[in-house]
Amino acid sequence: MAQSNIRFEQVNKSFGTLRVVDDLNLTIDQGEFLSLLGPSGSGKTTILMMLAGFESPTSGTISLGSQRIDQLPPYKRNMGVVFQNYALFPHMDVAANVAFPLEMRGIAKADIAEKVTRALDMVQLGTLKDRRPSQLSGGQQQRVALARALVFEPSVVLMDEPLGALDKQLREQMQLDIRALHRRLGLTIVFVTHDQSEALTMSDRIAVFNRGRIEQIGSPREIYDQPHSRFVAQFIGETNLVEGTLAENGQSGATVALPGGGTIRVQPSGAPQQSQKILVSVRPERIRLDKGGKTDNSYSATITDAVYHGDHLRIQLDGDAFGFIVKADRSRADRSRAEWSPGDRVTVSFSASDCWMLPA
Amino acid sequence: MSEATARTRLGALGLVAPLVLFLALFFAWPLVSVLKESVSDPVGLRAFPATAEAALGWDRQSEPPIAMKQAFVEDLRAIDDQQLLGDAVRRLNSAQNGFRTLMSKTVRAAQEQSGPLDLVAVDKRWADVRFWRAVANSTYPYTDRNLLAALDYQRDAAGKVVALPAEASANTAILIRTLWIGAVVTIACALIGLPYAMLAASLTGWKRQLLLGAVLLPLWTSLLVRTAAWFILLQEKGLINDTLIGLGLIDGPLPLIFNRLGVVIAMTHVLLPFMVLPIYSVLLAIPKNLMPAAASLGAPPWRAFLRVLLPLSLRGVVSGSLLVFMTAIGYYITPALIGGAQDQMISSVIAFYALGSANWGMAGALGAILLVATLALYAVYGRLSSDRAGSL
Amino acid sequence: MRLIDVARLLFGVFAVLFLIAPLIAILPLAFTSSIFLTYPIPDYSLRWFRELAVADAWRLSIVNSLIVGTGTTILAGVLGTMAALGLRNSGLILPGLFRTAFLLPMVVPAVVLGVGMQVFFVQIGFANSYAGVICAHTVVAVPFVVVSVSASLAGIDRRVERAALSLGASPLTVFRRVTLPLALPGILSGAVFAFATSLDEVVLTLFVAGPNQRTLARQMFSTIRENISPAIAAAAFLFIVGTLLVAAIALLIRSRSTQPKTPA
Repeated sequence: MAQSNIRFEQVNKSFGTLRVVDDLNLTIDQGEFLSLLGPSGSGKTTILMMLAGFESPTSGTISLGSQRIDQLPPYKRNMGVVFQNYALFPHMDVAANVAFPLEMRGIAKADIAEKVTRALDMVQLGTLKDRRPSQLSGGQQQRVALARALVFEPSVVLMDEPLGALDKQLREQMQLDIRALHRRLGLTIVFVTHDQSEALTMSDRIAVFNRGRIEQIGSPREIYDQPHSRFVAQFIGETNLVEGTLAENGQSGATVALPGGGTIRVQPSGAPQQSQKILVSVRPERIRLDKGGKTDNSYSATITDAVYHGDHLRIQLDGDAFGFIVKADRSRADRSRAEWSPGDRVTVSFSASDCWMLPA
Repeated sequence: MSEATARTRLGALGLVAPLVLFLALFFAWPLVSVLKESVSDPVGLRAFPATAEAALGWDRQSEPPIAMKQAFVEDLRAIDDQQLLGDAVRRLNSAQNGFRTLMSKTVRAAQEQSGPLDLVAVDKRWADVRFWRAVANSTYPYTDRNLLAALDYQRDAAGKVVALPAEASANTAILIRTLWIGAVVTIACALIGLPYAMLAASLTGWKRQLLLGAVLLPLWTSLLVRTAAWFILLQEKGLINDTLIGLGLIDGPLPLIFNRLGVVIAMTHVLLPFMVLPIYSVLLAIPKNLMPAAASLGAPPWRAFLRVLLPLSLRGVVSGSLLVFMTAIGYYITPALIGGAQDQMISSVIAFYALGSANWGMAGALGAILLVATLALYAVYGRLSSDRAGSL
Repeated sequence: MRLIDVARLLFGVFAVLFLIAPLIAILPLAFTSSIFLTYPIPDYSLRWFRELAVADAWRLSIVNSLIVGTGTTILAGVLGTMAALGLRNSGLILPGLFRTAFLLPMVVPAVVLGVGMQVFFVQIGFANSYAGVICAHTVVAVPFVVVSVSASLAGIDRRVERAALSLGASPLTVFRRVTLPLALPGILSGAVFAFATSLDEVVLTLFVAGPNQRTLARQMFSTIRENISPAIAAAAFLFIVGTLLVAAIALLIRSRSTQPKTPA
């Protein structure tokens, strides 16, 4: 099968003097689920709109397989787009909405009816054919929008924060449904979101955007466990960042010297040079409290606040060397102490493999 | 109901009451007067009050009672208003031929003799029940004559509704003309207003402000000023003719004023804002991403327009059209000043009957028809604009 | 430039011209020295304004318009503002019915209403009087006041009034110190609308006014109909200037009231 991946090459987009997309080079593989993640104004929606054809790049090229598409009008691009707030046609019923792209492609009436039925069955809406969009719930509208974007069997589907308007439970259900469709139909999906957990659960790869540039691109695991920058580390999930100087970076391990004395043992990494200023990132859920036995790093600290979150406790610590936030999983061993209260002295420990170095 | 609630209710009612009373007196009552004028027929009752009372007990089939005959004679003797008598005779004659001679004979006889009068001796026709029935019927103070006449119908001697002879039938033609001019103006407004509103909605910044301002400015300007302005533009030596002649496009002036064309142009100008504004507000309510959605689904711009934007803006066109049509059919000033004799609409005819010939019955009947038509259109308009939110 | 853009531009220009040009065309003719209401203007003069000031018919009609307009503004302003306040009150029964009833005078054909008023006014001895003309004009002007005041009342956050109550103001004080100042822009624009409506009213005036109550609009109507002259253009000029002036005054008062504008 001929590879038809999407390529952005040196793409720039400016509105007036404002540069929204800055020298973007990105290849999206066929069949890949790629999330564009970033705060609002980071350029992710503009990139999607350029891919869909509603914006054209100020410079650079976009191509799909061997075809250059950046000058192609949107109605000739043959990509399914699921819009924010769904953009269902309010004057057409569900069936007519889904039939619309087929009609535009001059498909015979009988085939249209059949494909519409199939598409609606796929999203479990077969019984609501004759409803108007205004008579549907948010989740149902979302499914219609999905069916409409898939019914003409595009190989690429673009989604612009499609789940933003749904409540949490429905959103999680839809995330699973979309992932299942992606796998079953072998679609290339480009998914814009500002919700990091959504990006983490759904994607093959995530591109984290900041101010028009890709900060980092990689698998969810890479993005979460090995962030390349302070921005990525803080935008994806929650983390403890500790400043220090790289004292030793060897095969067996690395050591970071803290300004107030003391050290942290960290995972060795090729990039940073010795005696360079760096940041150490430790995820709150990787930190143990009061755990005995041998660990790479352990410190004593005072609890300043402990907040109950149902499935975990969020504990704020003031250590001698630095402050920490710890997520204490309530099913774990550290539950042994029934209650943590402010003022308690505790021992904080974490392993070197959970410490990741970032450029300062 | 608590005392506090009762007090707020009373307060609210107290605030709206003055306007309610005012409108009841100066708005509702005049409209009721119009309706009453259209069906009222007071001549017979005023001319023959005693007869009217006596006729109450008569079955209108058998020989009329003596008392009624004598009451009639007394009524004839009592009339000193010759105009009233003349009106009454005309009224009787229109119901039953022959009353003109019969009445002059009878009145003379009644005045020459005193005491009881043998009417059959005066004229044999008084033996005929039909004549008595006409007298008794004429004392009934209500009639459908004007309403029928407003639609070019009348009742024949037998009381059946028949069409008026062609030479007396002007009203239907005027009603049709009114609807026709209203329809032409509405279509002209829609043809200009829809693209105008779409253009305004698609623009931003000062361009949009300019287009909206151009619609609102005429709305704020006096109707008379606008009509006078069109007079200046359209007249024989007006700006349009001067310009066209100056450009060498025509040799002599085009007839633009005192004809249908002038009326339609001026009325379209006056009513265009009522078309543009509803369509514009509907267009603004259409979600911004529908056209991109259509494009992403493979619709080229013109198909997206036909399938998405146009159907969605139709509701505004319908509202605007109702508003324009409703206003247009009641128009008086513009046709009166810009139109010729053949372009006068129903309002002009009403004004003629009321101001020119003091024929309140006909003015009322035509007015009632116009009023009912307008209110019906308004009800449809109200229904449309109230469920707009639901289906968009 | 694509063809469709050219078409849009042309359409836009022509449509704006169609809407605006007539209003602009009439203004210079107010200053013509000719006795004809046509272009070209041979010379500029103020003779037609003098005519308005000197000729009895015009002078009287201008005075009448001011009298009737002022009376209508006050009557419609008071009745309409009270009614709008009543409509806003949640205690009102059948608010929809009242609202529709208050708007109906805008809908009913003026000629029909005129016939009815003529008949009715003769019966109650109101015909050919200033009071009659003012009442007639108020009927058609009051919907504008109701709409405009209602709109500005709808923009007032109920919580502001509740806050005032909770701070110890009596309901009357709240009305005087909070509600009324916030509604003032609406009341003012309603009053401007009422005045403009009265100024422009012809049809009802034809039916209910006697020769002594002939208004400017009525005078313009018969002048256009019977012997058209540039006095019309001069009167139109006054009309436009008058409307703009009243609107400007209203804007001025509105901007001087320190209340921030609440979005409608």
